[in-house]
Formats: sequence, structure tokens, C-alpha cells
Amino acid sequence: MEDLKIGVFICNCGTNIAKVVDCDAIVDSVERLPYVTVARTYKYMCSDPGQDMIQADIEEHGLDRVVVAACSPRMHEPTFRKTLQKAGLNPYFLEMANIREQCSWVHDDPVAATEKAAALTAAAVLRVAHHEALERRSVDMCPNTLIMGGGIAGMSAALDLADAGNRVYLAERSDHLGGNVARADLTAPYLDSARDMLTERVTRVVEHPNIDVLLESQVRKVDGFVGNFQTTIRGKADDGAPTDSVYDVGSIIVCTGYKEFDASRITHYGYGKLPNVVTSFELEKMLRAGRVTTKEGRVPQYVAIIHCVGSRNLEFHAYCSRVCCMTALKYAHEVKSAVPGAYVSDIYIDMHAFGKGMEDFYRRSSEIKTLFLMYEKNDYPVIRKADATDDCDMLIEVNETLSGETIEMPADLVVLMVGMEAREDSEEVAHLVNISRDKDGWFIESHPKLDPVATTTDGVYIAGACQAPKDIPDSVAQARAAAARILARTARGKIEIDAVFAEVDEEKCSGCRMCNELCPYVAIEFDPEKRRSHVISALCKACGACVAACPSGAITARHFTDKQIFSEIEGVLA
Amino acid sequence: MAIRANPKLITELEIYGAQDVSKCYHCGNCSATCPFSKEPYIFPRRSMRSLQMGLEAKLESDLEPWLCYYCGECSVECPRDAEPGETMMSLRRWLTARYDFTGISRLFYLSWKAELLAVIIVALIAGAGFLLYGFSQGNITQYNGPDAFLPASSIHIFDWTLAAVLLALLLTNCARMWWFTVGRDTKVHVPLSAYVRKIYLLPTHFFTQMRYARCEQKRPWAIHLVLMLSYVTMLILIMFFLAPMWSGPAVKWSVHVFGLAATAGLLVTTIIFLRKRLKKSEVQYQHSHETDWMFLVLLIVVAATGLVQFTLHRLGLGTAANINYVIHMMAVVPMLLLEVPFSKWSHMAYRPLAMYFADLKAEEMVSKAREAVGAPQAA
Repeated sequence: MEDLKIGVFICNCGTNIAKVVDCDAIVDSVERLPYVTVARTYKYMCSDPGQDMIQADIEEHGLDRVVVAACSPRMHEPTFRKTLQKAGLNPYFLEMANIREQCSWVHDDPVAATEKAAALTAAAVLRVAHHEALERRSVDMCPNTLIMGGGIAGMSAALDLADAGNRVYLAERSDHLGGNVARADLTAPYLDSARDMLTERVTRVVEHPNIDVLLESQVRKVDGFVGNFQTTIRGKADDGAPTDSVYDVGSIIVCTGYKEFDASRITHYGYGKLPNVVTSFELEKMLRAGRVTTKEGRVPQYVAIIHCVGSRNLEFHAYCSRVCCMTALKYAHEVKSAVPGAYVSDIYIDMHAFGKGMEDFYRRSSEIKTLFLMYEKNDYPVIRKADATDDCDMLIEVNETLSGETIEMPADLVVLMVGMEAREDSEEVAHLVNISRDKDGWFIESHPKLDPVATTTDGVYIAGACQAPKDIPDSVAQARAAAARILARTARGKIEIDAVFAEVDEEKCSGCRMCNELCPYVAIEFDPEKRRSHVISALCKACGACVAACPSGAITARHFTDKQIFSEIEGVLA
Repeated sequence: MAIRANPKLITELEIYGAQDVSKCYHCGNCSATCPFSKEPYIFPRRSMRSLQMGLEAKLESDLEPWLCYYCGECSVECPRDAEPGETMMSLRRWLTARYDFTGISRLFYLSWKAELLAVIIVALIAGAGFLLYGFSQGNITQYNGPDAFLPASSIHIFDWTLAAVLLALLLTNCARMWWFTVGRDTKVHVPLSAYVRKIYLLPTHFFTQMRYARCEQKRPWAIHLVLMLSYVTMLILIMFFLAPMWSGPAVKWSVHVFGLAATAGLLVTTIIFLRKRLKKSEVQYQHSHETDWMFLVLLIVVAATGLVQFTLHRLGLGTAANINYVIHMMAVVPMLLLEVPFSKWSHMAYRPLAMYFADLKAEEMVSKAREAVGAPQAA
């Protein structure tokens, strides 16, 4: 420890930090701390000249530890670690003090803010003295992939992976491929046939030598970690009896899709009671059969389509189901072509016509004389049976906002645009592959913008409507993105594992297994022979839960040792 | 109480010219652009909405279509090409048919063949009638004097009889208009005193068309005003000064100067309108209904034959003048008998009336609103 040389680099971040924190004062205060050899400020430390300065100081002064007082480590820790590496230092000999997000951005008293920034920097200086050189490791990557769900997303991902020469196990719960798209007639906005599109996909998937399609199969168990999963899938043997098989895969894509909202939950619409109130999927069935009729077999004169059934309201789901608006417009077109004289009314809250070709499609739907009626969120239209003297079967009362009138709309057939819901088994699936769900049951991605297909569990990806309501193009895009992510890894054949993870000292472990239950990443395994727990480093996210909980003090998190944390506290209090 | 929507109405209005109303998605640009759109009459979007939904009773009581002079700004601004200006025009046609209790107007608007047939039949009857009358009591070579083929005094009686019939029809329709738009409105009650106090609005709007003058472009207003004033001048001359008009062959300048000016006005403006409708260069003339053509064609024939009449008479060509006169009447009679109460001409009455009613209703609504918030009434 005697020979340590610490360099402290304080960033102004333009004026982001400097306008509140007196950076030069921090230089003065840290220079008094032990081992600090050099302390400097710079306008933008993350810029090339800023990094060059750090590198030059490391080389010139023979620094062996570096503290950067700047922004959040989430922002630039990787940047400065690379700087250290370039200068020949172990990248883990870096510590960052966050004097922007946690200081200048949230305080406006310059004196107190400077004091706090100095304390945070001092903490980093004291901590970095105890940093140890850590090495990242790599493990072999199994090129096989398990895809859960044989819908449009699952098949799209499977084809990309298989075309690249990798083995794909495509597990589908039902007895056929295609998922919910197989229930649709045409697609919006170009009115292409869903069936034609699917047939091509299904044929390719089934015939692909690298794809094993496992129908009527369910994933029962997933063990292991990224690159090395062992998955147990229960399928049917030739004699129909359930049989479990184990597949080794390196990656898993969850494409389990969605289920439709149960329309009978909204009593205003009388679904299940009024025979001619049908769901969108029931209309699809009629359209595929080529005959749009009422239950009594009559050709409907008035067809009404109600949007947001189960979506965008307080009672059921607050979110938008994204596909219903354009599907409703598709129905306007399809109904008009099936029943040329029909009057189609489209009862909506807002028309969400985002996406390529959609606004045009909306316009064309107006041009074919669809009557659009707007209602207010949570102010549901009410459907009732018409009187015998009316020329229609039902009447829909709508508080129509574009006119400000309460109107009664005649209808012979009412189509409810049922929204998308997370499947009942989403909790089970989430548990199986250890990913999280949001409040609505949708699987959560690693980053909503920058990492939309990965999850918090390395090696497990999500694609399609199991992540959130999604249309076909978005589902396919996400599926193919997941495939690309996997291919990028299999191409290297190895997976780098972060050097920061927890370790169990087997000498101290009592085998109480408390940590096994506690670990949110299922990263701790119990060895029944040794009666000791050990951490699977590839799964560990270094959250520290086990470290804090271990009654024997047998678990240490690398890079977060007791010594490091205590000296950090001392630094703050000094 | 919910109003019953009638999705079929839009199909009927298509025949009246509203082809594109279903394209409207209610951005409101039209109402924002319109120089007349002002509380409590925000248009044309609201009327477009009522039409899309087929709220017949509401449309029937709607004065807003008449407040529009069709400058076309709204149609230019419309991002969906829903033609709000043309929709208002079509609604005026539809309302004209609604006000007319005989159903003839509706028939004419729905079928141009029916209108053309009616015009031809009336023209033939008129022609035959005048010929029979002329031969029965006069000499075809004589235009003036005791032996005149069609003496001015007889024509005068005929004119007044025709005027009485027309007035009766038109007034009945105007009364129906009042009932639809003001009379049966349970929300706004206009006191009798207000009708009297504001009666000046009727002649003001009729003779100046001052609202039209507020449109961004002034030319259409000027042309429209010239056409209207020429027509009214001619009407006054014929109804009250037929005898001096008839005199001749010397030109009686005190009367004829007005006659010639009015004829020139009619001819020039009618030709301008015909040209615009044919060229379709301006948005308000891009969609011509059959009734628009009929209106202009009858008008130009009447004005032209009137001028020919004047010339032949001055030249002393009695026979030619009499024949031309019969032709002139074959255009005048159907124009007056069919167009004035049942077709486009009727807007001469409906539009000023609508302005008058709208003003009365607005005043009443404002006063009610002030009462509701306890604000002092405007002086």
C-alpha cells in the first residue's frame, strides 16, 4: 500500500457540474488525501483529450489507481475502464464519484454541493486504494437455441437462426404452428392474406433441416446459464404418452404471444347475451369463410365496430393494444367488400394510425364511407336490442364527442375489437426462464429503447406480443433482432463474463441454503455432496443480496468487498 | 334523449352534391379558416358532422349552410379533400328541398331529367299558350298598338298572376323554413319585438350581401351582387314599368337605360359564371350540380332574348319581335315558375332570411347565457 499512486480527475462536464460545484476546490481538498499523486480538472473528461490526459498522467506519474469524479458510472465507467486498459492498468483499478446526477444536478447551493462533491470524491479515493485486479473470464457458447412459441415471431427467429446453420428447437404448446396470425383473414394496411404469408413460413420451418418443431410441447424446466442451458421439454411420444426430453441450448427466445380480452367482462356490450355482438376473432372466422352474416343467417345492413374493448380504460387495461385500430379499418374494408351495401360505423376513442402506410389506410377507410364515431375513454357505448319497428337488430348509444350529441346508432352486427392480454401462463413462463413481468403481465426487456429484445437474464430473449401488444411487422422485427443478437454471440463461440460476481468461501459456508432462496437470478447452486452452496458466476449480477444475508459471512462480492465499502464510508465521513 | 343516427342520409346527399363528406376527420381547419365562423355559428365542421351521422332533424333546423357564401377557403385548407364548401352548398340544396312542401324541389334535385322535362313541358305550354292567345286576338306582325299580338296590358296581368302564385309558394316555403329553424326550437325563444326591431336586416342583407363582402376575395361578391341587382332591377321594371318598356319604337331612355344596364349586368355575370364553371379553375366552381347549369342557361337565354326583343322592336320588325317574345317567355315562365320556388333562385329569399333568423337566435342565446351567469345585458 505504501507505494500507491492515485490520480484524481474531476470533470466540469461543460457547465453541468462546474456551474454548481467548485471543481478546483475539490482538487485542493483531495490533494491532501493519502496516495493522491495528481489531481486535475478538465472541461470534458470523457472527450478524447480528457482521456489522453488521464493516460498521459498514468504513464508519466506511474499512477496505479484512478478516480474520475464526473457523471454516473452507468454513463462512462466503461469508457474510463478502457482508458486505464490502454494505459496498461487493470480496468478495475478505476473508481468513479458521481458528482453530476447525485450532486450538481440536484443541488443549487454551491457551497454545500461542493462539500458533498468533495466528500464523494474522497470516498472514491479511499475506496480505490483497496481495489483488486480482476480478470474477465469467458465460457463456451452452445450454438443451439430454444424458441418457446411457434407463432409468427417464433418462426421468424427460428428461420434466421437455422439459416445461419444453428440448431433450433421450436416448442409450440398447441398442435399447429402460426399462433394468433393463423386466426386472421387479411392483414392491414395492404390487405394481404395472412394465410398466404403464414403458409410460406410454416412450410419453410417444417422442412428446414436445422429446425426441430416440437408440437404439443411445453418447456418444463430450464437449468444452467447463458451459453449452457439444459432445458427439459415435455412432449408427446408416438403412443401419445407424455415424455420429457432434455435439450442443450445456449440461448432461449420467448415468443409466447398474447391472448385476447374476454369481451363478456364489459357488460355494456352484452357479449354472450346479444347473439349478434361478436369479437374481432369471430368476425375473422366469418371473413375467412367468406360469409358475413348475423346469427340468424341474414346479411347485415348496419355493421358497427367498437374499438378499445378491454384496452385504454380504468377498469380493465390502461394500455393500448396497438393493433385493433388498423384491424378495425381492415374490417371496414373487408365488410364493405363482403356486403357491398353495408353501412359500417367505427366507434373509436382515438385513431392510432401510426406506422408505415397506416395513415393512408385510415384515409382510404374514410373514402369508402366508413362512419367514424368518437367516444370518450371510460364512457362506454351501450348496446341494446332494437324495437320491432326499427330497421335494425340493435341500437348503440354513444356519447359522440365530435358532435357533442348522444346518438343511437343502428346495428345488425357489432364487432368488438378485443384487446391483447398477457397469457395466463406468463407468470409460469417468467419463472421458468427467470425473467420479470410488468404490472400487466408482459415480459420486461433489458432496456426499453437500447436493448429491446434482451432480458435481465443473460441468454434469454423476448420477441413478439409476449413483451407488449404488437403487430406482425413489429413482432417479426423483434424476433429477427433476437436472432441477430444470438448469432452475434454464437459467431464468437465464447461468452465473456463480468469479473464482478459473488463468491462463496466453502470453508465458511454452513450449507444453510438461505442464499439459494434469496438470489433473484437463481445464480446460487447447492452441492448436495459437499453440502456447500456455490455461485454460478455467469448468472450472478453482483446485486449483493446473498452477501448481506449470509449468516456465516461466507460470501464476498468481488469489487464490493467489506474493506472497499468501509473505506468508502470513511471517505464520505472524513 | 339520444338522437337516432341515419347512416343512409349521406348516400342521399351525394345526389345533392356532397360526394366527399365522409372523408372529413374533424380537424376543424375549415371552421378555423372561415371568415364567418363565429360563436354561436361555428361552421362548416359541425354541419359536416351532422351530415356524416345523418342527424336529419338537426340538419333541418341548421341555419349555418345559409351563412356560407362559398368562397371556397375551407375546401382549399381541408387536408382530407372532404370539400366542406361543396358540402355546405349541397346542404343548401337539400334544405331547399326540405323547405318545399310540394316535393317538386326534391324531385328536381334528385333527378336532372325530371327538372329538364318539367322545364320543357312548362316552356311548351307557355309557348303554345302565348301563340294561341296571340292568334286569337291579335296580328303577328303587330308588336304595339290596338292589334298587338301580345299586348302589354295582358302580359302585365299575366306577370302579376304569376308573381302572386310564386309569392304564395315561396312564402309558404319561407314559413316552413322559419318553423324548422326558429319556430320549433324549444331552447331558443325569439320575442316578437326582436323580429320587428331587427327587420332592417332583411333588406340590408338582401341588397348589400355585406357578409359576402367579408370573404377574403372581393371579386366573387361583386359579381354576385351585380347579378342579383340586375335581376331585381329587371323584376321591378317588368312588374311596374312594363308599359313604358313596351313603348316604341323610340328608345325611352328614362326606363330603357335601366333595362339595358340590367340586361348587360345579367349577360356579363352569367357568362362569367358559366366560364368559371366550365373552366373549374376555382374551388367553388369545380363541382357543378345539374341545377346550377339549368339556372345559368335559363338566365342567359332570358337575358339574351330580352335584348334581342328590344333590338327587333326598335328595328320595327314586328313579326320577328313577336316570335322572339314567345321564345323569351318560354324561358321566363319555367325560370320563374320552377326555379324561383323550387330550385336555386329560392336562395334569394332563404339566405337573407337565414341571416336575419341567425342574428335573432344568436342575440337570444347570448342574452340567455348572460342571464345564466348574472352578467348585465348588453344595451
